[in-house]
Amino acid sequence: MTGRIGVLCALLVLVFTGFAWRLINLQVLQHDYFSAIAAEKHLIKKVIPARRGRILDRNGEELAVNVPIRTITADGTRIQDPAKLATLAAPFLGMDGGELRAKLTSAFSSKKAYMIVCKGVSEENTQNLLRAMDAAKLRGLYPEEASERNYPNGEMLCHVLGFADRGGHGIDGIEKIFDAELSGHEGFRWIERDRKGREIVLYRGQEQLPEQGTDIRLTIDMGLQAIVEKEVDEAWKTYHPAGASAILADPMTGEILAMACRPNYDPNHFNQAQPDQMRNRAITDMYEPGSTFKIVVASAALNEGVVDEKTRIFCENGLFSYGGKTIKDHHKAGDMSVEEILQFSSNIGSAKMSLRMKDADYYGYVRRFGFGEKTGIPLHGEISGMVNPPGRWDMLTKTRMAFGQSVAVTPIQMVMAMSSIANGGRLMKPRLVISRGEGSSENEPDLVREVITPKTAKFVSASLEKVVSAEGTAPQAKVEGYTVAGKTGTAQKLNPHGGYLDGRFIVSFAGYLPAENPKLMGLVIVDDAKIGSSANYGGLVAAPVFSKIGAKAARYLDLPAEEVRVTAQSGNTGGATASVR
Amino acid sequence: MKGNRRRATNAIEVNFLTRMMVLFGFLIIAGLFFVYLKNQQHSVGNQARSVEAELHETEAKCEALQARITTLTSRGALQRRLDEGYIRLETIRDTAIARVTPPIPAEVDGVLRTALRDTDPRFGSGVPQRVLKR
Repeated sequence: MTGRIGVLCALLVLVFTGFAWRLINLQVLQHDYFSAIAAEKHLIKKVIPARRGRILDRNGEELAVNVPIRTITADGTRIQDPAKLATLAAPFLGMDGGELRAKLTSAFSSKKAYMIVCKGVSEENTQNLLRAMDAAKLRGLYPEEASERNYPNGEMLCHVLGFADRGGHGIDGIEKIFDAELSGHEGFRWIERDRKGREIVLYRGQEQLPEQGTDIRLTIDMGLQAIVEKEVDEAWKTYHPAGASAILADPMTGEILAMACRPNYDPNHFNQAQPDQMRNRAITDMYEPGSTFKIVVASAALNEGVVDEKTRIFCENGLFSYGGKTIKDHHKAGDMSVEEILQFSSNIGSAKMSLRMKDADYYGYVRRFGFGEKTGIPLHGEISGMVNPPGRWDMLTKTRMAFGQSVAVTPIQMVMAMSSIANGGRLMKPRLVISRGEGSSENEPDLVREVITPKTAKFVSASLEKVVSAEGTAPQAKVEGYTVAGKTGTAQKLNPHGGYLDGRFIVSFAGYLPAENPKLMGLVIVDDAKIGSSANYGGLVAAPVFSKIGAKAARYLDLPAEEVRVTAQSGNTGGATASVR
Repeated sequence: MKGNRRRATNAIEVNFLTRMMVLFGFLIIAGLFFVYLKNQQHSVGNQARSVEAELHETEAKCEALQARITTLTSRGALQRRLDEGYIRLETIRDTAIARVTPPIPAEVDGVLRTALRDTDPRFGSGVPQRVLKR
């Protein structure tokens, strides 16, 4: 009897020892393994998306905002009846029933815990779907927070703003350059779900709140932008050019107030845009500037002291043979002062001024005006233009550069160079952003370098006022009530196969107002206007656009009108060689 | 015989039994209270979840409406409606504006008011003012 009891006890001890061992094995030795399995089943790291920062103009007008949408995901492990669920959900998701059934069946049969079913579902449809699922006691579809970028002004300012893709990543423009700041950092929360997939709030785990994206405030003034867009649009419709650009800037600080290009696109429908429409021509295209570049040679020669205000240069009565080629002027004249050379846009006078300078000095000034290097505007795709060093010049290069040939610049470079004449000789870095987030500010204008002395700048500026006089090349750039200083440019288009294209021009006008105390700097470029060669001049095509922009902008900003000084100069429009007028 | 019966009878230890019953009673009440509290926590958690969902839904609706308002009142949209003739601009002469408070010059608060011919800090003399608000 005692023996049998002993055996029974031993057996019981063995059994319970086995149980104990199993318990230790499960609870201690394989704790991590089973915890991981349990966590995988119930614990979920729920991402809390960060709100993408808005883009605002200088006055706080919203240029890019977010529209909340939902992404619907399926959890195959919780779906009970994929066919029934698909029939119920398809109308709310705007999907074909068959397609949705196939997706849900696939998730169900493979027991896939996460599958994106539909993106961009409105908040209203999402809530209706969830209510319908609750009523039908179905589960397996879950909404995730998302948002869609919206550009309320559509095409306006599209090249500056750029766009963000459906995933909220900046692809172009400000959206791309400041993507990190705009995106912020997403947060997370560890949660457990019940059998129906609902969160059990009691078991909420570690949590990290998202760091919201910062708002970017631009220097752009949408009031001015609207003015520029309207006028560029009108020029686009009138002349049917291959492209057109206009920039408004504050010459004192380098702040870009407006920037518009044609063709353009609607960033809300970026997938419908062609690459040509998406190009910001103001920074990605280079062109031979033509006569607007004469400001460089005149400033350089004056600053170097090879000419002065009283120097008179013999302009060969309109025909000058140099290096086996002939340079021509529209305005045939004998001696001309520097002021007259600019006023009448004399190619010969400009070429002769360049010949008075050493190659290295002249090249140095071209570079100091910012040509041949990126301006550093915070936009993607800026190019540096093309300025060859003296070592690569032939006999004609120097004289041609004097009137804007053999050199290629971008519109933004030209704006900054002309601004340096307006502001007393200081080359500013273009600024596009006022602040990034609350409390931050980038208020300080960024001086790149002093290019010329204030005295030289003042003299050149006074000469440029004459360009807009009745006798100058751009009387149509005049703005009633304000003195305007500026320079026209008319350059033949380069032939990709060499030489120039006959009868096809890139015309431009770069100017500022009021000339004495400049507040607004503007550049208008019209590329290959469909208009007769006799009328395709910077002074006839681009200058009137500038004038309209200038008049409306001055009124918008309520600039006090000034007394216009009457300038009486004789002469006619400049222009000479086949390509520069 | 009597002595034998007495020996076979066990005394009921009332004190011990009472103590045990009280102890078990306490344990049962504590257990039930624990379950009750746990259920309450779940219930409050569910309420919190539904309130959060409601709040989130309201926020999302608000954001969607704000985006819609921004789109409908954007410069581009208003210009389009102006061009189409749905709205028009009416000139209001300065003399027709009754000012309840006198106009504030821009230097005071840095606010750019383009309708007034005050000295705009951005375009006035001196260092350009950069903090301009609508």
